Amino acid sequence: MLNKKGGGKIIAMYWFVMLIIIAGGIFAMVYSFYHHPYDVRELEAEIMINHIADCLSNKGELNSELFNEEGFSQNFSENFLGNCHINLGVEEVWQKNFDVEEEAWGGEPQYYLQINFYNAINLENSVFEISKGNLNLVADWNIQEEKEYKRTAKGVEDGFFSFNGEDMYLIKILTIVKKTEKNVK
Amino acid sequence: MLNKKAQVSEIMTWVIATIIIISILLVFVYASSLLAQKTKIIKATDLKIDLGKEVDLLETKNLIAYDLASENEEEIIKNWEEENE
Repeated sequence: MLNKKGGGKIIAMYWFVMLIIIAGGIFAMVYSFYHHPYDVRELEAEIMINHIADCLSNKGELNSELFNEEGFSQNFSENFLGNCHINLGVEEVWQKNFDVEEEAWGGEPQYYLQINFYNAINLENSVFEISKGNLNLVADWNIQEEKEYKRTAKGVEDGFFSFNGEDMYLIKILTIVKKTEKNVK
Repeated sequence: MLNKKAQVSEIMTWVIATIIIISILLVFVYASSLLAQKTKIIKATDLKIDLGKEVDLLETKNLIAYDLASENEEEIIKNWEEENE
């Protein structure tokens, strides 16, 4: 009789332990799924391409500010971010963390953008180039030609045609976003 | 002696049941973390706009350019699009 009572207690204890284990397992499942960040870097790069394309061309015509009397305007290139209302410093990664006297995420800029203009007659050689941001990200992105790596920068390259008067140009835009700390775990 | 045997077999049942439950849980935990890695990558093509078809801004710009282009230029645009498909 006494022995039977002891057995019942052990089984009750076992069920209690099982309950904790199963609850812990469900918690671990939910945590591992929802704790994983969304990787929106490619989406961000594509949005940036669309924004740049909209800034450079409207209704099939290239932005008139892109040109001066001599051809492509160097001034537009230099003030490109301001002209197209692009703020690459919007993330805290560009800001110094003065409290610990070191730059957040190593202070490395997390974006790169490059725009190449090709005359439709010769699509091989670029006639004008605009590039802004962290050039090192290009190498980081190029590594992935054969295999995609999780912790390297993500980039998108696309292009479109547009006119300046009678001349047709191909505009190729490359945007690269790193931000692995926010998008990959 | 018989009583002890019965106890051992009863304990074995629970032990095996526990191992099965824990291993199933571990498989599910691993699967959920794998699922998070695979499905939490968002691209612009994943964002379906409720227009019945995908909207590509650069494609639209190319179509406008195609409309404005001469015959030669139309050919250039066509060839470039084919190469980049």
